[in-house]
Amino acid sequence: MKHEPLAIAMISDFFHPNVGGVENHIFMLSANLIRRGHKVIVITHSHPPDRVGVRWLLPGLKVYYIPFPTIASSATLPNYFTFLPYFRVIIAREHIHLIHAHASLSSLGQEAILHAPHLGVRTVFTDHSLFGFEDAASILTNKLLAAALKNVDAVICVSHTGRENTVLRGQLFEKSEDSSVLVVRPNVYVIPNALVAEQFTPATEPVSSETSRYFHVVVKGTTNFSSVYIVVLSRLAYRKGIDLLVATAPRICSAFPNVNFIVGGDGPKLNDLLQVRERHLLQDRIELLGPVRHRDVRDVLVRGSIFLNTSLTESFGIAILEAACAGLYVVSTRVGGVPEILPHDLISFAKPEEDDLIRALSEAVAIVSNGQHDPMEAHQRVKNFYNWGEVAERTEIVYDAVVKSEQKDLWTRMQRTMELGPFAGPIYTIILVVDCLFFLFLEWLMPRHDLDFVQMHWEHDNFRQVQ
Amino acid sequence: MNVEGWNKVLWERQPFPDNYIHPHSFLSSLRRNPNFKPYTYWPLVLLCCAITQHLATIFTFLAVFVRLKERWLDARVLLWVSIVSFFGGYALYEILSCSNPVRGAFTRSNTIKSSLLVFLALMGLSPVLRTLTAATSSDSIWALSACLFLLNALLADYSSMKPVPQERLTSVLSMNAAISSSVVLASRLPDDLAVFALVLFAVQLFALFPILRHRLQVTPQVAQILFTLILCVLSFALTVPLSVSVAYIYASISITVTFVAPGVLVWAQKYKNEIRGPWDVAVPRLN
Repeated sequence: MKHEPLAIAMISDFFHPNVGGVENHIFMLSANLIRRGHKVIVITHSHPPDRVGVRWLLPGLKVYYIPFPTIASSATLPNYFTFLPYFRVIIAREHIHLIHAHASLSSLGQEAILHAPHLGVRTVFTDHSLFGFEDAASILTNKLLAAALKNVDAVICVSHTGRENTVLRGQLFEKSEDSSVLVVRPNVYVIPNALVAEQFTPATEPVSSETSRYFHVVVKGTTNFSSVYIVVLSRLAYRKGIDLLVATAPRICSAFPNVNFIVGGDGPKLNDLLQVRERHLLQDRIELLGPVRHRDVRDVLVRGSIFLNTSLTESFGIAILEAACAGLYVVSTRVGGVPEILPHDLISFAKPEEDDLIRALSEAVAIVSNGQHDPMEAHQRVKNFYNWGEVAERTEIVYDAVVKSEQKDLWTRMQRTMELGPFAGPIYTIILVVDCLFFLFLEWLMPRHDLDFVQMHWEHDNFRQVQ
Repeated sequence: MNVEGWNKVLWERQPFPDNYIHPHSFLSSLRRNPNFKPYTYWPLVLLCCAITQHLATIFTFLAVFVRLKERWLDARVLLWVSIVSFFGGYALYEILSCSNPVRGAFTRSNTIKSSLLVFLALMGLSPVLRTLTAATSSDSIWALSACLFLLNALLADYSSMKPVPQERLTSVLSMNAAISSSVVLASRLPDDLAVFALVLFAVQLFALFPILRHRLQVTPQVAQILFTLILCVLSFALTVPLSVSVAYIYASISITVTFVAPGVLVWAQKYKNEIRGPWDVAVPRLN
């Protein structure tokens, strides 16, 4: 079915020139929505000195860089009101119908959800990460999220586990009609990430194993002895389970003389890896590449035949998909949303325990050595599982449902905000009311008819003709 | 729409809308209060005895200080009491260590050497300590020492003996607060001997007694209760002649801490709601 073309604003603290899962998701989703005939702009914070003002990205994606300073990890300070003047002008100028905020730690996104209803703009929110409920930081950010999501029109999560988590964190449930049981709001969707399969094609000839086979022929004089390379590409941090890697790598190396490791990435746990490599004299078996650029990932991946993911928490695990798409057999810890992303013959799971990981890796080495895993076939299958066009199509259905749904008026929003709790409720209601008054003040100070509206939009057909 | 055909996977497109929530699978892996062990009242009361004992030592110390300041108590008597209680406590500690051999880094000769050192150092320092805060008004000293004792009581290590005894930062802070407080109080005393006796007594009560208390917490319950009772009665008896109202306040604090607070904790447990699920950061198990 064909949908009305919409004008959509993606809002997040995390966008190009930073790199990462969220950044890539926003860009790919925007590009595919533009391809489907919608108009998309991105609002993010600036990256002085050169990423400021308004920029265009191919294919016709306009990016507004708001001059806000960042505090940590490229996130801006939540200040609720200072974003409103920028937001109001941009939304009005660009004739935006709908805003789509990304990432629960992005305060720009949360503030946009607060401001948007004043302008009659609809709101969608995508959550990309998992959070616990225990530590002080989680308790605080979960409360902020619950407040922001109280009046949002739709929520999208990237995995089923992610949805369960977001529903609990954001308190996305309501009393049913007979008010006896709590039911989840009907506007919580699951739309997975995707990947560009063409960027992750398997190597036609596995280069490294060819050369090493030759090497072993010379050394050992046997012909059926080929090396297996295990690839690890991850930030070397505690949450990525590098402790497990440090514990298992020497044991695997001693158990399988033909198994080598290739580790890409940087982080605080790099020293542990260097130390274990030195202690067990494995300099020629464990190769440490340091940071790997995203465009080089495929070249690193195709050097190996097994991909190892030791994460302790993962909401979707795009790195696993990229590896599977490049024809690697995947071994992963069974955490978060990872069990949902691949069929069980392409991946084997281990508990986050040293012994179980060794078991799973040994099985994977056996599968790969016996030639039971065909990289080309795996690539073809993964290619059919995920693509961005489908993600854009599914997101379009969400937008359509949101635009057709009834808008909540201010009184309803205030009542819903008061439901947050005896302390948080009044605080957020006050924020909401002050925000409204500030909005009215801005309407008086900078009347809408004085704004410079955007007259000309990006014409993709014209662009194609020029090309 | 049939419920059967749905799988919790993302890699295949299923004939369900994206906002479909499977009634059986949704939140099926949610676990509430998985490691929940409900507390019961009397074991909690027993654990609270450590706090009661600590409060008793603070009030004993304050009562002794007031007596020294008003010259109702001879400093020499206090000195002998300190020495006797040191040897008594050390003997008790040795006996308890024999039944529970947890050998620390300290041998007996080390202990005697360092206790002698502290004894002599305090003796040498007491004239300095006496005039330390001569320029400060007494009101500030009372307020300061009250704050420091509060800090001491809040941060003290009340846990029972762990397999590996290790000092935590808070327990060190707590001890320092108490010693500082006794030093500033001692500077209000009239003569050097009284200052020396009081600071020595403070070291006994706030540095050495907590170590002994750790050991006492593994003794039979009757011994613990008896010991707590003796300490409480002693401190109460020492406080009553000085001020009846303070004694009442002290008694009510003790009763609240020992009997009411555990009850409140037991009652509050019904509000415990710990949520666990597959989104939690897994704890890696290494050999």
